[in-house]
Amino acid sequence: MSDPMAEIRASFFIECEELLESLQDGLQMMDDGDTDSETINVVFRAVHSIKGGAGAFGLDDLVRFAHRFETAMDEVRTGRFVPDAEAIRLFFACADILGDLVRAARDEETVSEDITGPALEKIDVLVGLEEEEEEELDFTPATLSFDLDIGGDLGGLPNLPDLPDLSTFPTASETEDEITEFSPVGGAKGFQVIFKPEDSLYASGNEPLYLFRALRDLGDISVVCKCSALPDLDHLNPDTGYLSWVVTVHTEEAELSVREVFEFVDGLCLLEISPLSGRAPAALPDLPPAISAPATPPKPEQAAPTPLVPSPPIIPDIEMPNAPAAPVVKSAPIASVSDDAEDEFSLSSPNATSGSTKTTGTPTQPRATVRVDLERIDRLVNLVGELVINQAMLSQSVAEAGLPPNSPVSTGLEEFLQLTRDIQESVMMIRAQPIKSLFQRMGRIVRESSASVGKEVRLHTDGENTEVDKTVIERLADPLTHMIRNAVDHGLESPETRLAAGKPREGHVTLTAQHRSGRIVIEVADDGAGINRERVKEKAIEKGLIPADAQLSESDIDNLLFLPGFSTASAISNLSGRGVGMDVVRSSIQSLGGRINITSQEGKGTTFSISLPLTLAVLDGMVVRVADETLVVPLNAILETLTLTDGDLKALGPETHVVQIRGGFVPLLDLGAELGYRSPLDSYVGGIVLLIGQEDGNRAALAVDAIEDQRQVVIKGLEGSYGRVPGIAAATILGDGQIALILDPMDLVSQASGRTKIRQPQHSLVG
Amino acid sequence: MALRDQLRVIVVDDMSTSRGLIANALDSFGIRNVASAADGPSALQKLAVAPVHLVISDYNMPGMDGLQLLHALRSNSATRGVGFLLITGRADREIIDMGKRLGMNNFLKKPFDPAGLRAAMEAIVGKL
Repeated sequence: MSDPMAEIRASFFIECEELLESLQDGLQMMDDGDTDSETINVVFRAVHSIKGGAGAFGLDDLVRFAHRFETAMDEVRTGRFVPDAEAIRLFFACADILGDLVRAARDEETVSEDITGPALEKIDVLVGLEEEEEEELDFTPATLSFDLDIGGDLGGLPNLPDLPDLSTFPTASETEDEITEFSPVGGAKGFQVIFKPEDSLYASGNEPLYLFRALRDLGDISVVCKCSALPDLDHLNPDTGYLSWVVTVHTEEAELSVREVFEFVDGLCLLEISPLSGRAPAALPDLPPAISAPATPPKPEQAAPTPLVPSPPIIPDIEMPNAPAAPVVKSAPIASVSDDAEDEFSLSSPNATSGSTKTTGTPTQPRATVRVDLERIDRLVNLVGELVINQAMLSQSVAEAGLPPNSPVSTGLEEFLQLTRDIQESVMMIRAQPIKSLFQRMGRIVRESSASVGKEVRLHTDGENTEVDKTVIERLADPLTHMIRNAVDHGLESPETRLAAGKPREGHVTLTAQHRSGRIVIEVADDGAGINRERVKEKAIEKGLIPADAQLSESDIDNLLFLPGFSTASAISNLSGRGVGMDVVRSSIQSLGGRINITSQEGKGTTFSISLPLTLAVLDGMVVRVADETLVVPLNAILETLTLTDGDLKALGPETHVVQIRGGFVPLLDLGAELGYRSPLDSYVGGIVLLIGQEDGNRAALAVDAIEDQRQVVIKGLEGSYGRVPGIAAATILGDGQIALILDPMDLVSQASGRTKIRQPQHSLVG
Repeated sequence: MALRDQLRVIVVDDMSTSRGLIANALDSFGIRNVASAADGPSALQKLAVAPVHLVISDYNMPGMDGLQLLHALRSNSATRGVGFLLITGRADREIIDMGKRLGMNNFLKKPFDPAGLRAAMEAIVGKL
């Protein structure tokens, strides 16, 4: 058996990531001007919980930092310190460091004092506090005395408190004003079902469990069994039903749907269905406002800690703690469920019912989740891939067997096909996760990079809950980081320049994600000066990337940024000038099957737009034949396909041809020759070419022998066995069991242009 | 039968790590009847159908904190007699005084080790 502590420790670090996320969220809300006490509480609690867990595992560095951060947040929470923008920036920095410390602890590394020290000093200066002395607290534990009766009665439970009925809690209508704070589901829609089967229900073979299961299909349910009517064993009649149930159904469905569940037991039970009217029946009364966090923070000059409790004590009549009641199981059957509720519930203090706090930020019930090892999911993804292939093979055999299309086998196969697709989609959805974590990391990049170049930048994010494949999220981190740095460094102007241009000092970078026509679109937009096209063009000419007399459209010029070795900043700053250009960004996006686009407006800003496929496991491909080999070309790389006529072709040399397409020239690449399947043909007239396009406008024509099909193929990586093969992205298995390579056409084209010196830009950019 | 064989406990904490740690410690004491809940309201719901002898609850939880849970327990005749051990990261005087007033049986400051938890529990229920 694995070490339970190791497991708990591992789950602690996962939980920390969630806490860090809510910490970032909370700080962001504070930064946006939210001063709600619950927001501050969320921030406090995140730090507090990380500290608590870290303490249990003896992660001292983490505890030390978290403790002082927590103390600062406590000052904010109690209203003793009101943070300004600068303080919130510091909190953000602390949150970042806290994240570093968590990850360092996880990986058993350390974070240098040089990083944590200054932040802590700043915190102490800012909040102005000294390490508090541990208070001596006098508390005498209150002992419960169990009258242990081991004499073998049922379970031998000593003095078990009486079975409390949930129905003894007040129902919504009875205590209209008090309930909301503790309601597990805010603004609940649904019904409360009181269900008391008669003996005849059991006698006719019905089983309440099945009814509850049917209710569960309508939505989340909670079931409370009332067993107080159960007599003791001597008086129990085995043929009598003593139990009744209160079921809370959270559903959007109409009452009729709930009634339908009980259709078959109509007349065999007592049934009361009442709408929840926006409140859960299980809610408990609120505490007086004094116990919850102070809604309005006391003024700072009230330096003394605010008392949590008003005097006199609010619950005067509790007979605790030394004398726990020793109730016995009641044998008197209850008359009816609702009467019982009224009779038994009473609040111990009138005070407790009088003050109702306004519900602020009722926590949303988190959805039930399961943590699964990624490897297991990937194995499932792989298996589903196999299933898709298998199904394709089966389809092919059926087609070859010449069965009529309406034969049971064919129609069954149709359904099979649909199911396979559904399974595949569902499995891919398991791998998907909100892009939020990535966006939050970008927040840190903006904070750090703006500070280092002395600009004031605010990051806005939108569509954080857009779900993206986990691998895509991981592999997007680097290109996105670079683009954000670029936007801060090059995109936005200095505060002075902005003011001079009539813009606010603070620059804005907006990061958005959304689903659009089966793809994910991520945009990085800044409200900076836009691309200075004159300078870009000069630079490109200077570097010999384009001829001096090139006629370029605005978009052509913008796309020059993606050319290898291009950098517009005349002086390389310490941010973006790290040897990584936009060309690298583009190729990493392309390796994910994505495209990147740029739009810019002088004086208004620049937007980079990345479009990505939803999944990395399948792609839409065109199946082609070249020299008796079957290949797959990703559909998103193909702009158009055409058949060559004599007039389209121009020879530039013995083996170099270009194709004239609508006035532009595009280099021709013989796929067969390029992959070494055969030597170049003498003539390509009458042949088929695929026009391959890149986002920057570079194009190439791939000559193939025939186009066979267009279909979804399952991607099988080659890199594990063969390393990276130039021009080849992956492989797949076709319906007939044949293995086909999936091309990486862009790579193939750039390989070829490097070798045969096809001077692309002149031709392609005017194309 | 020892007390630990009969004792029923519910652990209430919003952090699954903490629930795991406490459950692990209870397991090592030989306590088998352990339920858990991630927040006060669901703890109350669980207690309504499966009563316990001892509630071990974190103080700082979203929505309903440990003392509010304690108040709710003490306000209901059915759960009034249950033992209550508060686990808190900050043993501020206000929290402890409030706990005292509400009828908290004992408290334990984080971080704690299994021995500390055991001692805090035994102070309430007696020798495990």
